[in-house]
Parts: sequence; C-alpha cells; structure tokens
Amino acid sequence: MKDLASKGSKDRGSPPAAAPVTEEALLRLYANGDPEAARELVGLLGPRAYSVALRVLGNRAEAEDVMQEAMLRLWRIAPEWQSGQAKVSTWLYRVVMNLCLDLRRRRQALALDGIPEPEDGSPAAMDRMLDVARVDALQEALMTLPVRQRQAVVLRHIEELSNPEIAGIMEIGVEAVESLTARGKRTLAAVLAGRKDELGYHDDG
Amino acid sequence: MNWGITMTDDMTRLDDMLAAARHARRDVPDDLVGRILADADRIQANRIAVPRGEERQKEPGLWQQLLIGFGGWPGVGGMVAAGVTGVWIGVFPPENLPDPSDLVFQTSGDSEFLNYYGLVDVLGEEG
Repeated sequence: MKDLASKGSKDRGSPPAAAPVTEEALLRLYANGDPEAARELVGLLGPRAYSVALRVLGNRAEAEDVMQEAMLRLWRIAPEWQSGQAKVSTWLYRVVMNLCLDLRRRRQALALDGIPEPEDGSPAAMDRMLDVARVDALQEALMTLPVRQRQAVVLRHIEELSNPEIAGIMEIGVEAVESLTARGKRTLAAVLAGRKDELGYHDDG
Repeated sequence: MNWGITMTDDMTRLDDMLAAARHARRDVPDDLVGRILADADRIQANRIAVPRGEERQKEPGLWQQLLIGFGGWPGVGGMVAAGVTGVWIGVFPPENLPDPSDLVFQTSGDSEFLNYYGLVDVLGEEG
C-alpha cells in the first residue's frame, strides 16, 4: 500500500501509470486497518487544513488544537464514510472552519491575543524580510475582519478553492461567498493601504 | 478618477500579499503530526480489537429471561389480562358463583356439613 499511496500523493502532477490513490481510498484503507494510511492522509490533507486554521485563528497553539481535533473526528468517522459524498478535504475544511468558529466564540474575550508575533530570525535577503513582513501584515489585517469574511477570504484567495466548494464548506450559498470575499478584500486593501511604505511598496512603482 | 486608481493599486498590492501568503504555507509541525498519528493508531487499534458489528453478545438479564420464559410480550399480555379478570371476578362475582369472601371467611357452611355427616360416615361412604 505504501508504494501505491506514495505514488498517489507525490506524482499527482505526472500522467499516472495507475489510478492515483485518492483521499477517500486512503480513508477506506485506514478504516480497514492499514497502518500506513493515516500518515499518508496527514501528508495529503494536513498542510492545507493547518494553514487555514492558522490563518483564521492567527494563533499557532489554537490552530494545532483545532487541527488535532479535526483529524480525530476524521479517524472516528472513517468506517462510516459514504463513498461519493463530499470530498474528504472539503469535509475536513468544514470541520476546521466550524471548530475555529467554536473556539472563537469560547475565547471571544481574549480575541486580542490572537494576533501572532512576527517570528524571530534574521533572514539574509531584504526581499525575504519584506515577504515576511508582508505576510505578517496580511495576517494582522486578516484578524481585523469578521470571522466569516476572514474564512471566505482565506479559502478563496490563499487556498484558491472555488466559490462552490467554499459554499459547501461554509454551508452558505455561492452568492454569499462572493459577497463575503468581496467585502473582505475591500477591507483588507483599505487596512493595508495605510502601511504600504512600511511594507516596501512605493507609489512610483 | 484618482480614487479609482488608488483603489486598484491597493487591490494589486493585496493580491501580491495574498500570493506571498500562498507560498508561505506552513507544514504541519512534527510534534502535531505525532499527536495526530497517535490518535489515529489508538482509534484504529480499538476498532480492530472490537470489530464493528461483532461485539460480544451480552447475556440476557433477569427481566429479559422472564420475558422469554413467558413467551415474549404476547404471553405477558395474556397473563396480565387473566390477572385483571380474576381481580374483577373477585370483587364483583357473577350471581351463580359463591361470594369469594364467604369462601374465605366461611363460618357456618363447613360446620353444618360436618355436623350433619359424621366423620366416620364421610370416610366410610366409599366402602
């Protein structure tokens, strides 16, 4: 299984000699007791789900808790997974988003703690420093958005999911997704406009 | 309009920053991967130890055994009906039946019977 799964997850860009192992097939293998399937699934689904949690929550410890809980629910539901229902990744995004909302509701009083400190370190190149500063500034700006707008913007413009898929994840209509992302982007642009000099953007190009 | 140009520039800058964020995607930290896989292994092991649908059949309890002994719910229903009928007959006996309270607390019937027939006569009737 391991070879097959590795082929599925690593060579997805090249024309496959055999059908790639899908998330659903891996989940079925896990439910049937395959000892390697869980690791393959984490490798396949983990980075994106964790990044989304991190972006929406802006806090590493909370994102880790959400990620672990979401994966725990996936392990538990594995035997009941219905073939042909939502993609596993879509299901996982939905669980992550809902857990983020739950966490935010529980810790609303501590919302100001949610903005992560810029990471320490001394990147050599100025471009790298600016990139880091811009990503951190973006995170701070994201944290000023209402949480549903933030979720929609992260899923659409960082995860690059389609509007219908986001609608399925957030359990709202496609038009509502479009509205949330449009309003979110306008707000982000306005917030970041005030910091363009500090972030290395200049009007003269 | 100047405002329009400024807004377009701001949006371009925002798109630039969002693209940088896409490239800055974080890997799942190793210790978190370890915790997630430990959960997965634990749940998988529990499921293998107790396969779904093959849980050990539990012994029926006392009430369950009684229910089975009476022939299930239809049997219990018949028994209840018979009990209620018995109580009803006991409280409001039909005219052609002796009053049960007299049978229980009879004071004269037996003694008259025994007075009329002597014990020897009763025992000696067959012979």
